[in-house]
Amino acid sequence: MNKISKLLVTILSAIALAFTSVSSSFAKVEGEYIVLGAAVSLTGKYSTNGKHTQNGYNLAVERINSKGGVKVGGKSYKFEIIYYDDESNSKRAAQLAERLIKQDGIKYMLGPYSSGLTKAMAPVTEENKIPMVEANGASRSLFTKGYKYLFAVLSPANQYLEVAIDLAVEKNGGKPVNIAMAFEQDAFSQDVRLGIVDAAKRTGSKITIDDKLPKELNDMAATLAKVKATKPDVLVVSGHSKGALTAIRQIAEMKVDVPMLAMTHCDASKLAKQHGKKSEYALCAAQWHKTLSYKDKFFGNGKKYDKDFTKEYGYAPPYQAAESSAALLVYKDAFERANSFDTEKLRNALAKTEMQTFYGNIKFGSGGQNTAKPMVLFQVRCKGDTCENKVVAPTKWASAKLVHPVPSWSKR
Amino acid sequence: MKKNNLILYGVLLVLGLTAPFLFPAFKVQISFMLILIILAMTWDVQGGQMGYNSFGNILFFGIGMYLCASIQIGMFFPLAEWTESGGEKTFLHTPTQYFQGLAVGLVFAAIVPAIVAALIGYGILGLRGHYFAICTLGLGIAAGEIAGGIELIGAGQGMTTPPWPKGIGDTELRAEFFYYICFALLIATFSFLNWAYKKRFGLVLNAIRDNEDKAEAMGIHTMRYKIVGWVVSAFFVGLAGGLVGNIVGYIEPIEVAFDGREMGVFMVLMAILGGKGTLWGPVIGASAFHIFKEGFWTFFLGWQYVALGFLIVVIVVFFPEGFMGWLREKYPERFGEVIDEADRKAQVELK
Repeated sequence: MNKISKLLVTILSAIALAFTSVSSSFAKVEGEYIVLGAAVSLTGKYSTNGKHTQNGYNLAVERINSKGGVKVGGKSYKFEIIYYDDESNSKRAAQLAERLIKQDGIKYMLGPYSSGLTKAMAPVTEENKIPMVEANGASRSLFTKGYKYLFAVLSPANQYLEVAIDLAVEKNGGKPVNIAMAFEQDAFSQDVRLGIVDAAKRTGSKITIDDKLPKELNDMAATLAKVKATKPDVLVVSGHSKGALTAIRQIAEMKVDVPMLAMTHCDASKLAKQHGKKSEYALCAAQWHKTLSYKDKFFGNGKKYDKDFTKEYGYAPPYQAAESSAALLVYKDAFERANSFDTEKLRNALAKTEMQTFYGNIKFGSGGQNTAKPMVLFQVRCKGDTCENKVVAPTKWASAKLVHPVPSWSKR
Repeated sequence: MKKNNLILYGVLLVLGLTAPFLFPAFKVQISFMLILIILAMTWDVQGGQMGYNSFGNILFFGIGMYLCASIQIGMFFPLAEWTESGGEKTFLHTPTQYFQGLAVGLVFAAIVPAIVAALIGYGILGLRGHYFAICTLGLGIAAGEIAGGIELIGAGQGMTTPPWPKGIGDTELRAEFFYYICFALLIATFSFLNWAYKKRFGLVLNAIRDNEDKAEAMGIHTMRYKIVGWVVSAFFVGLAGGLVGNIVGYIEPIEVAFDGREMGVFMVLMAILGGKGTLWGPVIGASAFHIFKEGFWTFFLGWQYVALGFLIVVIVVFFPEGFMGWLREKYPERFGEVIDEADRKAQVELK
């Protein structure tokens, strides 16, 4: 055992040395860089949306840096982001938040993708009193906990599809409707569900099917069979990108006729491109659409953002990318107003944010949610074989009229 | 105990006790390493010593985690309100409530998984080889899906564990507190297994691995030992689960609690990396794995699982018996194995 003991002791001391040598790096502001920390999903089930998030962050960093950077105390600073991959796993995300704060000395955080991961990270940032501006965690429960250091540029998840129910009731002559719904078992989708349940109560509508879908959704035929049998007025589906794709594929395969189909994540999953005509008339909730007329001096407007983003990354930006870019604009604005790197001062400046970006107006409510921006609904419309998302609600920005009810499959 | 061993244990103990002060930024990181060591060691009871590849130990981890958190909350506040609509409400524990809740929660997090292990074990430990492995694999997956449907514990929305009470120190104290509990649990696990492996229990487990039928024919109640082995694992894994829930602060059915895809696989991998069927193998394997993972993972942004796959291939090809196995082959005399050179040569020539 002698030699093994020695070997073990050697290994242990080597580990100890390695630990001490890396723990001394401190990186909140390094030279001319303000270092932000972010854990995004580059692998795992959110990898598509995680990539959108990262691209959104990167584009904004590049743009802000090239347009004069952030002015604090009369000096110009640049943004830099340290990324980790959270593997779409909430345990990992919480660990990485800890790591960014404790080991990398990060003082300013950007959010991950998805409500679940944000929910896992928020307790860590909150306990350490580190401000986190997040762009992809919409769950309502994030904003009722009294978190003081969490700021979200997006509207809460329960608002996503409430509008669709209102719209359906309106089209039904103000009479209550029958709602069928299927939601993935995760924090975000379950929150969207809460919004629908509220809307149903408010309008006196009846929920006829209330299904839970597994994560990593690949099949929802059972739900669709029930929909075929009961003929509800609205079908609501939410399950991130994969859920949206699966739903459209199977609705077309099974030729399910329903007057209104409302979903989330249509543009992140590039529904219109992937499924073309099959996805026509699907109604989608989005945080942002390029045709909205908001402006700022970094990206111009939505159309310009769309062009710049497409040029840089080779695909049109879904709202997940746009809101991520907006998070950086919020940080820049807050840093300049705080005129300090102190996290408390920055936090107070963030709380007082009131600005317009290409993505929309941003003003934080007491829980940290953005109260100044409505959700938009769009409908997939096709001309020949090319399909596009057209905004149908709210009417102020509508570029097309809502088609209701959806024509049956036999007539398409 | 030999003198060298004493020195080794002494060094490790001192290192363990002083680690939070030596590496203040790494407290949570090291706590996780200790938890991984516990998971690897308890997996090794089945996978290494007994020769039963269990992929279901994560079941006890998740049960312990949910149970501990539920009791911590339920003892003082209505659990249903805590988890309602994604956990919108949060009640604050006073320090006394917090520690009482944690203590009671951990007791249940140890006992209930142990009972579950006994019950399930009675049913499925009759299966052998691949059949047992597949069956246990299903256990973890099923538990995750079931937990995702129970509203009381937050269903798919997950639940938060009680936040650290206000008024008794900051996050540093919290990290230190949980570090020392993890360390104590590791010492308990190690000491218990070290003791048990030296007794008849350890010998019987090895006999089951080497030839179960023969062991049975010799009058050993193998079933009884197999169940006891699993109960022991479940006991410690449940405790580890309860602690992890509190360290992470957020419980989600599939990614945090019944995380068979990561923790469930990692515990097997770590034990094999270090050398299964040895006392120190899982300890070394888990430490090396965690350090490799945390040290290099971030360099392969987005490619880390490819790197992990590569690592597994390297281990399987070059160290099929793990690190300890490799040492054993190289220096058999250090492990108390005597090789008769003349006999070895004679055997080689015979072939």
